Amino acid sequence: MEKILNAEKSGSFPRFGRRRSKLETSSFKLENFKPKEADENQITRSNLEHGVKRDHMLEQVDQFIENLASARDKSITPEIPDLVEQFLKMVDYRIGTYEMREASVMFGQNQEEDSMFFEAVNRLSKIVSNLDEFILDSETNGCFNRAGSILHHAMSLLENEFVALLDVWKRSCNVNIMDSKTPKIMDSKTPKTPKQSVFDSNPPEMEIEFPYFTSESISVMNRVATAMIFAGYQPECCVAYTSLRLKALDAEFCNQGYENINMEEFQRMEWASQEREIENWIHIVNYCTANLFPVERQLCNSIFEHASTAQRLFGDLATSLTIKLLNFPNALLLIKQYSTEKLFKFLDIYETLCELISGIGNDLSAKDLIPDTSITQRRIGEAAVSIFCELENSIKSDNGRIPVANGAVHPLTRYTMNYLKYACEYKDTLEQVFRQHNETEGSTEQEPKNATEGNGESISTSHFATQLRLVMDLLDANIDMKSNLYKEPSLRYIFLMNNGRYMLQKVKSSTDIFKVTGDDWSRKRSSDLRQYHKNYQRETWSKVLQCMSHEGLQVNGKVSKSILKERFKSFNAMFDEIHKTQCGWMVSDEQLKSELRVSISAVVIPAYRSFLGRFSSHLDTGKQQQKYIKYQAEEIEGLIDELFEGTVTSMGRRRHIHLSHGK
Amino acid sequence: MTGTDNQSSFLGRISIRRNQVNAMDGSHEQEIEDLDVFQKQVSDRFADLLSAPDDSPADAFLSISWIRKLLDVFLSCEAESKGMLLMGCDAAQISKSPLDRLIPEILDRVVKALDICNAVANGLELVRHCQRLAEIAVLALEQKPFGEGPARRAKKALVSLMLAMHLDDKESSVQKTTERSWSFGRRGGNKDRPPFGHYKSLSWQVAKNWSAAKQIHAMTMNVVPPRGPEASGLPSLVFIMNLIMVFVMWVLITAIPCQERNGLTTHLPIPKNVNWTQSLAGLHDKIGDEWKKKEKKGMAGLLFELQKMEKLGQSLIEFTDSFQYPGEKDKAEEAAKQVAELAEVCRRMEEGLVPLQMLTREVFHRLVKSRNEILDLLDQTAKSSSPVV
Repeated sequence: MEKILNAEKSGSFPRFGRRRSKLETSSFKLENFKPKEADENQITRSNLEHGVKRDHMLEQVDQFIENLASARDKSITPEIPDLVEQFLKMVDYRIGTYEMREASVMFGQNQEEDSMFFEAVNRLSKIVSNLDEFILDSETNGCFNRAGSILHHAMSLLENEFVALLDVWKRSCNVNIMDSKTPKIMDSKTPKTPKQSVFDSNPPEMEIEFPYFTSESISVMNRVATAMIFAGYQPECCVAYTSLRLKALDAEFCNQGYENINMEEFQRMEWASQEREIENWIHIVNYCTANLFPVERQLCNSIFEHASTAQRLFGDLATSLTIKLLNFPNALLLIKQYSTEKLFKFLDIYETLCELISGIGNDLSAKDLIPDTSITQRRIGEAAVSIFCELENSIKSDNGRIPVANGAVHPLTRYTMNYLKYACEYKDTLEQVFRQHNETEGSTEQEPKNATEGNGESISTSHFATQLRLVMDLLDANIDMKSNLYKEPSLRYIFLMNNGRYMLQKVKSSTDIFKVTGDDWSRKRSSDLRQYHKNYQRETWSKVLQCMSHEGLQVNGKVSKSILKERFKSFNAMFDEIHKTQCGWMVSDEQLKSELRVSISAVVIPAYRSFLGRFSSHLDTGKQQQKYIKYQAEEIEGLIDELFEGTVTSMGRRRHIHLSHGK
Repeated sequence: MTGTDNQSSFLGRISIRRNQVNAMDGSHEQEIEDLDVFQKQVSDRFADLLSAPDDSPADAFLSISWIRKLLDVFLSCEAESKGMLLMGCDAAQISKSPLDRLIPEILDRVVKALDICNAVANGLELVRHCQRLAEIAVLALEQKPFGEGPARRAKKALVSLMLAMHLDDKESSVQKTTERSWSFGRRGGNKDRPPFGHYKSLSWQVAKNWSAAKQIHAMTMNVVPPRGPEASGLPSLVFIMNLIMVFVMWVLITAIPCQERNGLTTHLPIPKNVNWTQSLAGLHDKIGDEWKKKEKKGMAGLLFELQKMEKLGQSLIEFTDSFQYPGEKDKAEEAAKQVAELAEVCRRMEEGLVPLQMLTREVFHRLVKSRNEILDLLDQTAKSSSPVV
């Protein structure tokens, strides 16, 4: 303590230069307040005096440093002026003063005092680094040793302060979490909501967002780091920074509800839990890409002035975190077979990784990560491809022998189309995935056709479109095969129409899928449908129309009543039979249903009307007409409008509801 | 990488031969011959590792470069054995005993090994951290003229280093004594504790409550040499694959800081009195003995560089602790020698750690890939009946 007092005598800072007893020094907080009884004038005069002395001393010290730096012959031991010793003592004393203060708030109480301190430390660094180059004698060596000691003392102080400021988590623990001995942050199993911060309940200071630093503390850290680096303590500064930021980022991960899982454990989980983990993972990676990394980068840049240092430090952090994050998708890949609907989760992961990669891509310092990330991404892509191909397999292997009742849309059609529609929402990602896949496979099998170069609209060149059409063709083939299960040709056509129409509507209803399938497909599909329609007409109604043919009714130039009766009878029977059966058939698409009815009416009604008009008079009025002319033309129309409701068989109503509402 | 090179040539040979064999349809004898060749290779490779010198900084036993060699050996053996397995296996065998049990078991074991790879990757980060601290000490100790400031700087870094190296065991008494006996700073107390003893944070963990020791224990279960008629064919091959994998993972755990090693077994099911296992058994005994010696003391790992660092660190702490300006010449000379050694260790780490980290990741990816290939094989044989997840 004697030393300190001596130091104070010889070269203390002006603003605080009043003599102070031991007691005063230890109760530091008081020293910023002016003692009430103090004589203002005296203080001013004393400050001035001290200021002059100090300025003189600093000038001398600067001159000394200048001399050291410019000396050509470093073998000549430099003479060390007394003022330098005084300067050292002063610095030592100031360190002692700062050391009394609470960590993390050492600086920032008095800007001027802080500035002088940092300047003094920088001067000290210069003295040490310059003296280092000389050959010293025992006396100067002693001074050099003292300077080195004090410098280290200063650096320890700065490092402690740096650590205290940087260790936000510990600070917040000190405030309130530590009390409960087990920090909440570690225990919280499901703080899944991103915004739920551990720091919520802390004083206002803590309500800032990650990384939870006030601009003041950042500027202090910057000053400290700059001083440490200037003094050659960069390694210490960087080690402390990296360690504490890793710790803080861990805490932040935890805060975001993310936990490391080991591969083995993950592999044993049920899909529902795995799905939750996937969501969690996507959340945390997106959070990293969008928030954490940019913010962290900024923090690094604002603390470390040298771009290269900042870049390296950030790069190391990002690398360390990313490699750990990549463990998760790798764990996912351990499970070989996923069912088709899991495709979308994989695509989500793939997209997340894409963004992560592009995020890293902008950052030179973390570029090393890209290969690792890409490998993982590629594998996830491969998994997605194999899941998608699983759809093909499931279509191929759908060989049910029982036709869907009433010719309605087959569940497979619904499932596949809804699946494809949903998949098309990911079309760009799927395109990328399939392109990558085909590249790896040597692109021998599926070189996309119709490559028209430089034409962005030519979707047919797309790898995914090729794949999608393959699936649609498979579906077509399968539906065609299933249609053969219907014994009745008319119903077969209804079935084909229903399914074809469903596909067409799905395609048209979504611009995404429409773009992928292309115009041609829709045109072809429409013409197929028209053909089915015609075939249906022919199968069902040509015989009916034959009954109403004006031909063959005349025997010897006269209309034969018996033939006419026969015609009416068979028309009635046929029509009733058709009505009975086909009311039960199901056409769920309203437009298709009405098209069918309109077209049937358009053929049947005029024919019936004309037949009726031409021949009804040949039947005796009254009983005979009543017996043979069962329907008026309007009634026929009404009955035709009852067709395809699927009403007769109650089966019709309960159709494949599950899949029909697939997203 | 060496591993990959070996793989292609060896598999190339086997695959050509296999095509010929298929044509001839007399594959069993060929299989046995392949297995013999393979066992010979395994034996040679491990013998090579066993012959590494104990204390030559360049490629000492259990040094970073040695571990890299070990992993290269592992990759080669893995590639070859898997290649043989995939080529030699057909549907009929896979679905029959004992392969119907052995194959799923090895798949499971691979998953366990993956977790170990991750734990080791974490451990390597810790080693890197140690390197950084040691570098600070070297930087300070190399200063001339050497004064009290640099001495304190070096000591601070070295104490941090010791703490970082001993954080393996949770409430270890070692850590406490370390802290007490080397406590520094003017005012003592917790405040002056180096800020680096926090690697116990999450990123250093594979997962909560995960234990490397238990993992190895679980991996060794059911690894038994096949007997009787099974002893020559694929079951034998699978056994070799298992044994090498378990052994390599075990070595990694002993050498590199790892989460929870308490109670790590030193018993591995290496068959005695078999020609090809002799070098493996030799390595196992040597490392096992070393482990038993050092285990109780609590340490970062058997890694040559770490051991060296620990010894030098301790001795240099004593030096810096007792240092008083201007210091004694003898002690200074002695210390200078140690500083040079420590600098050399740092240089080896600087040189070797990143490649080792990459190699560990390569092992990881390779294991995933091989596992998938084996799964594909199972898939092909049981396409229709395999349940969809």
